[in-house]
Amino acid sequence: MIRGKIRGRWLTAAAALTSVTLLAAGCSGASEGNEGPEDGGGSSASAEGAATERELVIWAGSQTPITANFNPYNPASVLHLANGGIYEPLFVYNKIADEPPTPMLGLESEWNADGTELTVTLREGVQWNDGEPFTADDVVYSFTNDTAKPPYLEDAVASDDATVVFSFDDPQFTNEFAILGSTLIVPEHVFAEHEKDKGEDVDGNALSGLVAWPNAEAPVGTGPYMVDTTSDAAYTAKANPTYWGGEPKVASLRYIGIDSNQSAEDLLTTGQIDWATMFVPQPDRITSSGVYGYWNTPKDPTVLYTCANADRGCEGEQTDVAVRQALNLAVDRGAIDEKAFVGLAETVSPTYALLGRDDKWIAEGMPAEAAQTADAAAAASVLEDAGYTKDADGFYGKDGAAIELTLASPDGWTDYNNAAKLIEEQAREAGLKVVATTISEAEYGDQRFSGKFELLVGGVVGTSIADPYQIYRDWFTGDFTQDVGTQLGSGEWNFSRYDDPEVNEAVAKAGQTNDEAVKKEAYAVVQEHLVEDVPFIPLVVNATQTFYNTKDYAGWPTEENPYAFPPAWENPSSGLVLGKVGGTGQ
Amino acid sequence: MADRRTRSALTWSGKLITGVVFLGAIVLFALIAPLLTQDPRDSDNPAMLPPGPDHLLGTTSLGYDVLAQLAEGARGSLIVGVTAGLVAIVLALVFGVVAGYLRGWTDEVLSLVTGIMLVIPGLPLMIVIASYLEVRSLWVVALILGVTAFAGPAVVLRSQARSLRVRDYVAAAQVAGERAPRVILVEVLPNLLPLLAAQFLFAILIAILGEAGLSYLGLGPNGSITWGTMLNDAQGGGALTRGAWWWFVPPGLMIALFGCGLSLVNFAIDEVVNPKLRLAPAAAKRVRKARRSGRDKLGAARDHEPAPSTAAGEPSTSRSAEEPRDGAADQKERVDV
Amino acid sequence: MTFYLRRLAFYAITLWAAISLNFLIPRMLPGDPFTILLAKLQRSGGVTPSVENSIRLLLGAVEDQTLWEQYVHYWGNLVRGDLGVSVTQFPTPVTELIAGALPWTIGLVGTATVISFVLGIGLGAFAGWKRGTWVDSLIPSTTMMQSLPYFWVALLLIFVFSVTLGWFPIIGAYDVFEFNGPEWSWAFVGSVLYHAFLPALTIVISSVGGWLLGMRNMMVATLSEDYITTAEAKGLRPRRIFMTYATRNAAMPSLAGFGVSLGFVVAGSLVMEQVFTYPGVGKLMIQAVRNNDYALMQGVFLVITVAVLAALFIMDLIYGFIDPRTRSNNG
Repeated sequence: MIRGKIRGRWLTAAAALTSVTLLAAGCSGASEGNEGPEDGGGSSASAEGAATERELVIWAGSQTPITANFNPYNPASVLHLANGGIYEPLFVYNKIADEPPTPMLGLESEWNADGTELTVTLREGVQWNDGEPFTADDVVYSFTNDTAKPPYLEDAVASDDATVVFSFDDPQFTNEFAILGSTLIVPEHVFAEHEKDKGEDVDGNALSGLVAWPNAEAPVGTGPYMVDTTSDAAYTAKANPTYWGGEPKVASLRYIGIDSNQSAEDLLTTGQIDWATMFVPQPDRITSSGVYGYWNTPKDPTVLYTCANADRGCEGEQTDVAVRQALNLAVDRGAIDEKAFVGLAETVSPTYALLGRDDKWIAEGMPAEAAQTADAAAAASVLEDAGYTKDADGFYGKDGAAIELTLASPDGWTDYNNAAKLIEEQAREAGLKVVATTISEAEYGDQRFSGKFELLVGGVVGTSIADPYQIYRDWFTGDFTQDVGTQLGSGEWNFSRYDDPEVNEAVAKAGQTNDEAVKKEAYAVVQEHLVEDVPFIPLVVNATQTFYNTKDYAGWPTEENPYAFPPAWENPSSGLVLGKVGGTGQ
Repeated sequence: MADRRTRSALTWSGKLITGVVFLGAIVLFALIAPLLTQDPRDSDNPAMLPPGPDHLLGTTSLGYDVLAQLAEGARGSLIVGVTAGLVAIVLALVFGVVAGYLRGWTDEVLSLVTGIMLVIPGLPLMIVIASYLEVRSLWVVALILGVTAFAGPAVVLRSQARSLRVRDYVAAAQVAGERAPRVILVEVLPNLLPLLAAQFLFAILIAILGEAGLSYLGLGPNGSITWGTMLNDAQGGGALTRGAWWWFVPPGLMIALFGCGLSLVNFAIDEVVNPKLRLAPAAAKRVRKARRSGRDKLGAARDHEPAPSTAAGEPSTSRSAEEPRDGAADQKERVDV
Repeated sequence: MTFYLRRLAFYAITLWAAISLNFLIPRMLPGDPFTILLAKLQRSGGVTPSVENSIRLLLGAVEDQTLWEQYVHYWGNLVRGDLGVSVTQFPTPVTELIAGALPWTIGLVGTATVISFVLGIGLGAFAGWKRGTWVDSLIPSTTMMQSLPYFWVALLLIFVFSVTLGWFPIIGAYDVFEFNGPEWSWAFVGSVLYHAFLPALTIVISSVGGWLLGMRNMMVATLSEDYITTAEAKGLRPRRIFMTYATRNAAMPSLAGFGVSLGFVVAGSLVMEQVFTYPGVGKLMIQAVRNNDYALMQGVFLVITVAVLAALFIMDLIYGFIDPRTRSNNG
């Protein structure tokens, strides 16, 4: 019965699709190259283009088998559509531009002067897709239920139907993004009933609470789409007719599971996917068909993690700052970008500010860009000044023992593996012995978190807003690390075990204020230390390549109209994009 | 008659020669080519060059010379294959033939080990072993592949050995007071040789393919170049979609050619071990031809079908095979081979 | 009867040992699911403390249990048929995941294995029979196919037939763009067959050569036996000699190998399933291993173990039945 119904619906869609395709084929000449003008939608959430029955096929990185789980509180297996497409945040921040966030369920927000109170005005007239009205109580619930409540939040109160006030013990300017931009708003009338749900955790032990609930059947959200069907190979969604931004123009979506990048690339090449974000070495092979638009939005730096701090238990010659400096001088970033990252990566800043977006935060006198060529002579002189001498094989060392560093990267992460191979070769030129090797993902995770490594190729998560603060705090301060042998805890990313009192103090100062001048002053201290001490050796800013079908759909975020960070897997901004995309209608 | 026999011998040598030429060429390539080509880890060349005078097989995405990699990879793959093949076949002999020949506790224990090795999924086992090792060298990978691959051949050899041990000539040797190792070596093994040779060459091939598969999953030997790691790099570097066939195709072809050479030599070993095998087809042909000419005459004698005896331990489906006595005299001959 | 009892005891011990190893292996893997999951989430964006908190809840706290307690717990669950819940596919029970994957694997890999075996035995018997003729010259090309790396073949097939020519699909066990899950319709069955073609071809191409070669070797050995000559001298029809005398006897060792491969059908074909995004057991396993999904790993191990043991047991019975000598002389 059910199957028959679904099939019938599909046939209708297919019929419509055929006619759309025919029309599009008829005018394809005209459609090329005019994606720009009609996309000038600014930052409202209303849909662009014409209504279309053509099913939008998305690969957001899911692998098969797909399990129906639309519970945003289950990060392990929640499906992409849930975060953004079904459940929405108060605002969507644009990760690649320094601009105010797009209002979603929130309209305005305001801090009190000392950063202990945040008042948010909510959008009115919004409905949950089960017909219930969206209220300020839902917002309060979304921040105060046992599973979601952040430790820094003192209280959240609905002061009237359309206003929620968050209060804190300390200044929390730096958590603005976490509150407004990454917390999803869920319906209290649905979720409250599942707080006592029972399940099993991985070891078969009883588990209760919201986490245990799969939310597989008809999830109730405010977002532009509603779940339609789920199978282990794909899931589909249909437009939410009562969406506050207006009913989406694309009638249905299909998220598919793909197990290898190669397959995904093949599907793009043959035009079977409409939206995907993945590494493609030669993007022009895909865009040359004229079907796809392409936008590369590098955001996350790739670096060498070094276990830098002997005081906290790091072992190996890289704990000597001279060795790190020498290696930093010895790497040829131009060659690494060209060969390991196929020329698609961007220049990294040794200050970890995202070039172009965060330029204003780079302190005077700091190098904005990392050197793109190797300087073996400079590396040698740094080593020699530090008392290292060359042995018969041409490698520097002390007391007859040559420096030997193991540089590991996870099995199968091709770009990292290749970068490691190149660095081994480049370091040899400068008289540094680096041995590139690969380890399993599990081992990689273990080494990073426990600190038992010398050098690892790794990533730094770029900040979601135009401010490098979060990198400075989470990746480089002593409060966000542990001694070697102890696993890093929640939110701690300081793999290098770097712990400098001046940096710690400067970062703490920056966190207490919203005053740009005070922050800049603090950042200058941090940047000076990062450049000098090189706890991480920055390599490139890794590519993030998104492909989107511009032949049949309009309204994508593009280089010309960068209203959102474009990846198909990005949450929750993919929901904003879904609400705006429509057919080209040609 | 004589000319036909010569012809079949020639076919045989033809195959052997081809096989040996394949294997020899690849071994020579592995030994000599690395001396002539550039450093296989020299990234100074331009990336993704198609084949040309400077780089006969082009370059990879990192600018490595493909020919140099292929030569170095030949060395690595051969080491992995032969080592793993040896490990597997030695273990298979111990766990298969010895278990099949000796009964009682030895058999029970050995078979238990075989049985467990057979049912434990090999890949995760390899992952566990691999992740425990600081460095996965070629030798370690070879050892892992050999150890996880012996169970299959062991089972086949064991069931064969079990059938062989109840043969009269084996029983005769036992009665004559021969000790078990000698009986196994002299009476049982020669009869297993064709199977053993096939299993050994097959084990080499399986190991080389297994290494390629492990590399595909990112668990190949690190720090070494093999055809498998080359394929993995090519796959990871999008060689196919970027049209770099010169990077993706050669390692696969080398593996195939090597396997082909192994199989050809396998035929030859097979026939050297048992000269009768070489003569039998010719004889069979003669008989066939003779019968074809005299079919009518022979047709009348059909109701005297003999109960088929069993060959090389192969059970017959006929119930009368439970009394395999009439074949004893024939099988004596095989012992002399 | 003692023969069967002894064999049963043997299988019971093997099963116990294998299951215990299954318990130990995942626990010996380095890293823990928490850090792996975190690393993955981190790769595609920020991880908020509340997200981390949820992961911790999900993954439970096991530190308090000794290995022995876990082992007892594991057996208890096993006996109740409870294989636990997968982390990567939370909250799907492992049994459900395996049940979903098994039909695809058995259908595809099983069929391909049978086709490959029948084809290999047939061609091998033929090649052995026609030894010394032109057929021998074809052998090298078939063994070459067998020597090609699996994934290499699969990737080339996809590149040529799916991407360049567009004749075959690239992923899935059925048209995932058209069907919302399995259904009973001719269109769906057609889609399944269409999607199975290239993966099955990959398996057949890379495994048929092994059967062919083994069969040919045994066939040649068998054909040299005197009883064949006797049979021929007695004027039996070549077809009868070929079928009843030579092929049947020569196929026996291959049959043992076939039994083992049938058992491993359940394990799926790791690489093939990965390349074709085929929803089988092999892919579950590799996913489980990569994510340290203990429960899923153990479940898949268990199913494979039981399947292989069952296959071996049946082969044992068949052997004992058709070749009584293997169960005589138990001494």
